[in-house]
Amino acid sequence: MAFTIEKKAVTRWLEKLLESGEMVAPVRTSCGDVVFSTIRSAEQVVWDFPNPLHPPKEFVLPQTDPIVKIRRNGQHHEVEAIHDGTRRFLFNARSCDAKGIAFLTRMHEMEPADASYLRRSGNLTVISLACATPCPLGFCICTDSGPFLSDSYDAQLTDLGESYLVEVGSAKGEVAVSEAQSLFRKATEDEVSQRNRLEVAARNHFGEETCHFASAMRRISTGRVPDALWEKMGDWCLECGGCNLVCPTCYCFSVKDLGRDGTWIRCRLRDSCQYAAFTLEASGHNPRAQRKDRMKRRFFHKVSAQYYTRDGTVGCVGCGRCIKVCLGTTHMPAVVAAIRKGKWHE
Amino acid sequence: MNDVFLPDIAWLADVCDETPDTRTFRLRFRDSKKGEDFHFHPGQFLELSVFGYGEAPFCIASSPTRPEALETTVRRTGQLTDALHKLGEGDEVGARGPFGNGFNVEAAHGKDLLFVAGGIGLPPLRSLIWNVLDERSRFGNVTILYGARTPTDLVYKQELNEWGKRSDVETHVTVDASQPGWTGAVGVVPSLFKKAIFRPESTLAYVCGPPIMIRIAIQDLLALGFKEEAIISTLERMMQCGIGKCNHCAIGHRYVCRDGPVFNYGQIRELVE
Repeated sequence: MAFTIEKKAVTRWLEKLLESGEMVAPVRTSCGDVVFSTIRSAEQVVWDFPNPLHPPKEFVLPQTDPIVKIRRNGQHHEVEAIHDGTRRFLFNARSCDAKGIAFLTRMHEMEPADASYLRRSGNLTVISLACATPCPLGFCICTDSGPFLSDSYDAQLTDLGESYLVEVGSAKGEVAVSEAQSLFRKATEDEVSQRNRLEVAARNHFGEETCHFASAMRRISTGRVPDALWEKMGDWCLECGGCNLVCPTCYCFSVKDLGRDGTWIRCRLRDSCQYAAFTLEASGHNPRAQRKDRMKRRFFHKVSAQYYTRDGTVGCVGCGRCIKVCLGTTHMPAVVAAIRKGKWHE
Repeated sequence: MNDVFLPDIAWLADVCDETPDTRTFRLRFRDSKKGEDFHFHPGQFLELSVFGYGEAPFCIASSPTRPEALETTVRRTGQLTDALHKLGEGDEVGARGPFGNGFNVEAAHGKDLLFVAGGIGLPPLRSLIWNVLDERSRFGNVTILYGARTPTDLVYKQELNEWGKRSDVETHVTVDASQPGWTGAVGVVPSLFKKAIFRPESTLAYVCGPPIMIRIAIQDLLALGFKEEAIISTLERMMQCGIGKCNHCAIGHRYVCRDGPVFNYGQIRELVE
């Protein structure tokens, strides 16, 4: 189902949504950066923006995620699960980020399902903005996560010049539109074809038409990447963990009690498989003590056929954030290219 | 949908010293109904919370045939275990579980069983050993080979004596380095293989201990004629969540906490790091 809303009416739609829940959207900070943040007024939302360095996964899987409240009462303790029941709208998320959230949701739906995450994602309505002009570092076309989406959104906006086409992808999306039904009209066939032409044009912006994940996957899945190549790439990795922290699909975590004096919040804290301590055992033994082993792990998790079979996709949405943050150039496209060619770029 | 991270409250019914740095904690659930409903297999583990510090996985060292309390044996080796060691009788902890696959006890019915343990590797096997001894008639010959660095480092000393006295169990204990008063064997655990007689074709071998001991013991067992599938071990990995979500214990696309920790040697060889 597709609707159209005039650009000048969007503010009123946002105001309506703001009345019924928290709104997260890309905003420009006083320093000029664009970040995903909770907004107070519709004017804060930016429409023409580079995708923020941090994906909006913070709003389903916070960096520090409170999961259990613990209170000491004399010699006894009481524990209580923390439920975040806030209704939220994520507005103007890019296609890759909408896909990233859908990926995280699938991971947390796997048995045993994680109620803490699913409550948050269940209350989140993702209203994405299709990318008519792909971003310079993005390769979403290789990961089936953009520039336009055919799933993983509750509503998808496409800029048609004077108006936005609004495709509804779920019951939550339908509700978001019905909150301000009078502002929408059913999209015409012309408008839908215009959206389709924009999608073709956006796809044509990507120079190369070949996705190299498949050949990397074959080699990674069958252990045919030479150890010397992992070692070489491991040498270039500075094990900063930046790739994990900005990745829309990374969800590894550790658990820690924060607080003091008998009142603690047990938190899930994001962690990185690139840190040596990630696999360090109490005995001192570390099965992935070397950087090459940790890098191998990261790319096995993201690109192997074994995980592809389990997860239904590669663990990458082609957003290009790892390219931006990686100080050692061991980001997804460089590693995939090196595995395919059998040698590091040097 | 369950809150998968919410622990149940348990209290320490007893704490006893095994070695200078290792203690056995006996737990009972505060909610007795939870205790009654708690069913587990030997080889499974608990996520134990020390409130204010977090939680960590520990194997259940007691047998499901003795359900009145759960026991776990813990070496003091870091922040959380240090805090746990400071707790005493009556103090409360959190517990989630049981997690992991555990040993398949029924598959061992009618077989000879060989237990090979080193140091703090005995606790997960102890759960199975007591399960077997409590249902002794279901199993063939039972042999226990155990060793530690020194006599002081041996855990369950009283039980080792008890097993040593039983006529339906063959028990051999060794230490790497003797101490005054020790009259037993001296040597690494695999050196005990020559003390016992096995029928490799009808025996299941359970091996647990430090990585180097496991490696040598498996080599020796293969040389003795054991099949890969008849050599069973529990893998040690850094774990956090216990439910295959946090990714710490992943080996390839397998998770030690969920697909393991019990694997036979054939399965271990197929794991891709």
